[in-house]
Amino acid sequence: MARGLPLADVKILDFMWVLAGPGITRAMADYGATVVRIESPNRIDPTRTVGPFKDDNPSIEHSALNSNNNAGKLTISLDLTKPAARGVVLDLVRWADVVCEAFSPKAMRGWGFDYESLRAIKPDLIMLSTCLMGQTGPLARFAGFGNLAAAMCGFYKLVGWPDRPPSGPFSAYTDYIAPRFGLVALMAALIHRRRTGEGQYIDQAQAESALHFLTAPILDFVASGTNYEPVENFDPNYAPHGVYPAAGEDRWIAIACCSDDQWRALCSTIGRAELAADARFADAAARRKNREAIDAEIAAWTRAQEAIDAERALQAAGIAAHVVQDSTDMSEDPQLRHRGHFLRVPHPTIGETWVENSRYRLAETPARVARPGPALGQHNEYVLRDILGYSDDQIADLAASEALG
Amino acid sequence: MGAMLDGCRVLDLTTERGFLCGQILGDLGADVIKIEPPAGDRARAMAPYFRGEAGPDKSVLWWSFNRNKRGITLNIETGEGRELLLRLAAGADFLIESFNPGHLSRYGVGHADLMRVNPALVHVSITPFGQSGPKAAYEDSDLIIMAAGGVLILYGDEDRPPIRMSVPQAYLHASVDAAGAALIAYYERLKSNFGQHVDVAAQESVTLAAQSTPLTALVGGSETRRMAGGAKMGAIRIPLVWAAKDGQVSCVMLFGPALGPFTRKLMDYIHAEGGCDDATRDKDWIEYGAQLLSGAEPMSAYERITGQVAAFFRSRTKSELFEAARKHNLLIAPVATIGDVLENPQFIDRDYWREVEHPELGVALRYPGPFARFGATPIAYRRRPPKIGEHNREIYLDEMALGEARVAELARRGII
Repeated sequence: MARGLPLADVKILDFMWVLAGPGITRAMADYGATVVRIESPNRIDPTRTVGPFKDDNPSIEHSALNSNNNAGKLTISLDLTKPAARGVVLDLVRWADVVCEAFSPKAMRGWGFDYESLRAIKPDLIMLSTCLMGQTGPLARFAGFGNLAAAMCGFYKLVGWPDRPPSGPFSAYTDYIAPRFGLVALMAALIHRRRTGEGQYIDQAQAESALHFLTAPILDFVASGTNYEPVENFDPNYAPHGVYPAAGEDRWIAIACCSDDQWRALCSTIGRAELAADARFADAAARRKNREAIDAEIAAWTRAQEAIDAERALQAAGIAAHVVQDSTDMSEDPQLRHRGHFLRVPHPTIGETWVENSRYRLAETPARVARPGPALGQHNEYVLRDILGYSDDQIADLAASEALG
Repeated sequence: MGAMLDGCRVLDLTTERGFLCGQILGDLGADVIKIEPPAGDRARAMAPYFRGEAGPDKSVLWWSFNRNKRGITLNIETGEGRELLLRLAAGADFLIESFNPGHLSRYGVGHADLMRVNPALVHVSITPFGQSGPKAAYEDSDLIIMAAGGVLILYGDEDRPPIRMSVPQAYLHASVDAAGAALIAYYERLKSNFGQHVDVAAQESVTLAAQSTPLTALVGGSETRRMAGGAKMGAIRIPLVWAAKDGQVSCVMLFGPALGPFTRKLMDYIHAEGGCDDATRDKDWIEYGAQLLSGAEPMSAYERITGQVAAFFRSRTKSELFEAARKHNLLIAPVATIGDVLENPQFIDRDYWREVEHPELGVALRYPGPFARFGATPIAYRRRPPKIGEHNREIYLDEMALGEARVAELARRGII
C-alpha cells in the first residue's frame, strides 16, 4: 500500500513572519501540510530583506533566507486593516485545522482574531501563538528578533575569549531553537485532536523553549553556584579540543580528542608519535593543563595542510576532526550531497534558486520540497478560487476593496 | 483529559546525542523507559557534576535531559539482552537510539529486526552524519558537528580562530528535530498503522543555526563572516553586541524597508538624548544599506555613525537602555548572566521555573519549565531523572513478570 505524505490532511492558516514562526510551518509543508500564509503588502517580512541573496541582488524576491524558510507554502497578500480582508480570514479559519501567528500579543486581539473569537466559529481549532517572551507577563509586549531573546536567556556569555568581552552567538540564536519546539507542540496537539476531537491554544514563548538548551548551566548555577564565563574552545571533558589553522586564508580544522586512544592516534598522524609517551600529556586533565604546548604542536602540522586533507587524515586515524565549513565547503560536501541536502527549485519570478531539504529522513514517507517560498501575492487567485471557492464577482469585489496586495 | 501522548510507550536508548528527544516525549505524557548499559549511560560520566562531585548519579548534564523517564539497565549486546529488548520493542510505540550506524544490526536489533517484532514501531536514529554516506562512520563531537554544519565559521572574532558556544548545542538541535520527526511519523501511523525509520543527522539539523548562509555559494550571494559581537554580511559590518555603562546589550541596527524603520526610531531616541546631530538622525535608513553598497554613502560615514551609537550606549546602563527599548519599541535587550535569567521578572511572573525534588540528595533543583503552554493538556514534570537501574524491578518483575529468580540471575550475569 502506498503511503501518502504524513500531513497531507492538515490545513494551516499561517500569520507568521520573520524566522522562528515560519520555520515551524516550513517543516510541516515538507511533509504535505497545506500552508496558506498571509502576508501584508504594507508590512514586509524582514527576511525578504536579509541575505543571502540570489545573484547578490537584494530585491524582496531574491532572498534565499526567505525562500528557504517558506518553501512549499502558498501565500495570499492581504491588508488586514481593510474590512473586506476580515471575511477572507474568517473563511480561511473555517477551512483550517491550525491557525498560527507570531505577532506581539496585542495584534491578533486587535483584529478580533484571538483564540476565543476564532474558536467560536471553529470549535476544534488548534491555535499556536509564538513570540519572544510569551502572551502574559511584564515583558509580553517586548517584541523583536532572536538575538534579543538570546541575550536575555544568557547565551551571549557562552561565546567568547577570556581576554575580551563575550562576542555572542551568530545572529538570532533562539530563532534556530524555537521552531523545532514549535513543531513538536503543533504535532502533539494534532495527535491529541485526532485521538480526542479536542483542539486547544498553545502559548510558546521562544525564550522559554530556548532555555532548554541551557538547562545544564542553569542547574549547575542553582546547585553549585557556578558562573559561566567565555572559555573559547575549552571543553571540560575532552583535550585537545580546538580549531587550528589550515593552509590558506581563513581556513580552519576543528579537532576533538574524545579519548586517550584518539590522542595517541593524533600524535602519530601529526608525525610526533613520541608525544604519546610524554607524561605531561598522559590524560585529558594533564593535556588541558599543558594545552599551549599541545596546541603549538598540532598547529605546526595543520598549518601546512589543506583543511580537507587534514580532515581526511585525522578521520582515517579515528580522530574526530572536520573542516570548519563555509558555504562553498557545504555546497561541495559529499555527505550533504549524499543526503540530498541542497535542492535546486524553480522560482516564479527569478528563474531558479536553491533551498535546503528537510533536516531528517522519514524512510517510508520522505519529505517533498518542490518549490521555494512564494513570491509576494503569488497565490491570491488560487487561495480565493480553489481553496475558498470564491466566484469571479467576489474576487473582483475584493480587488476593488484594496484588501488584496 | 489525559496528556497528549498518554498511553504511548517510548524506549530511549540514547546517550547525550539524543536524550533530549526522549525527555520531550516524556513531557508530552509518554511512558518513557530509558535503557542504559549496566554501568550506566556514558553521559553520566560527563561534567558538570552536582557540587563538583563526579559520580554516575551526580551528573547535572545527565539530569538536564532525563526527567519524566523511568530507568532500567540492559546489556543489549548479549543474546538474552537482545531478546528482552525485542520483547520490550514489541509493546512500544517509539524506539529512540543514537548508536553509530550499523551498531544495532550487529547485535540483531537493527531496524529490520525491530520491524519484524513490531511493524508499527516508530524507530528514530540520531547520528552525527546520518545512516549512510561517505561520512557516516566519521568520529564526532559537538565541535565537529558545528564545524561540519556551517555554524562554527560564523562564531568568534575575525582575527582569531572560530569558537563554539561553550555549552554543547549540536545534539540538542538534533534531538528536538528528532522529536518533531518522530511525531510526524506517529501522526502518519495513526492513519496507516505502520511505523518507519526516522533518520536524523546532526550535521543537517545544526545547519538551521547558520540562518540559510550555507546556501550562499549556491545562489551566488556574498559570504557572511564572523566578527566579534556581530557579523560581516558581505561588505557591511553589522554590530549586534554593544558595551553599556555596566555590561552589554544586544541591539539590531539594520536597513531596508522592514528593518530601517527600527533604526530610524533608534536614532530618534539617541538624538533626543543628545547622542547625535540632526544630519545623522535623518539619514535614509531604509535606503542606507543600498547607499553603502553603491558607494553613495562611504563606509567611513557608516563607521563614524556606529561609533557614535557605541559611545552613546557606553554612556547608559543596561536597564536605562532596556527601559528606552520598551518605551520606544526599539530592538535593544540586556546581555544576561544565568543568574540574571533566574531573576528575570518575566519568567517569574509566568511561573516558568519548576522545582524538582532530588530526595536522595536532600535538595530541590530549579529546572527550566514547559517548552510551551498547552491550554488543554499542560506539560507536567512527573519524575525526576532516574538513578541507574532505578526501575528494574518495576519493569522486569511487575510489568514483564520475569520472576525473582530470573531477574537475580540476569543481574548476576551483568545483563541487567
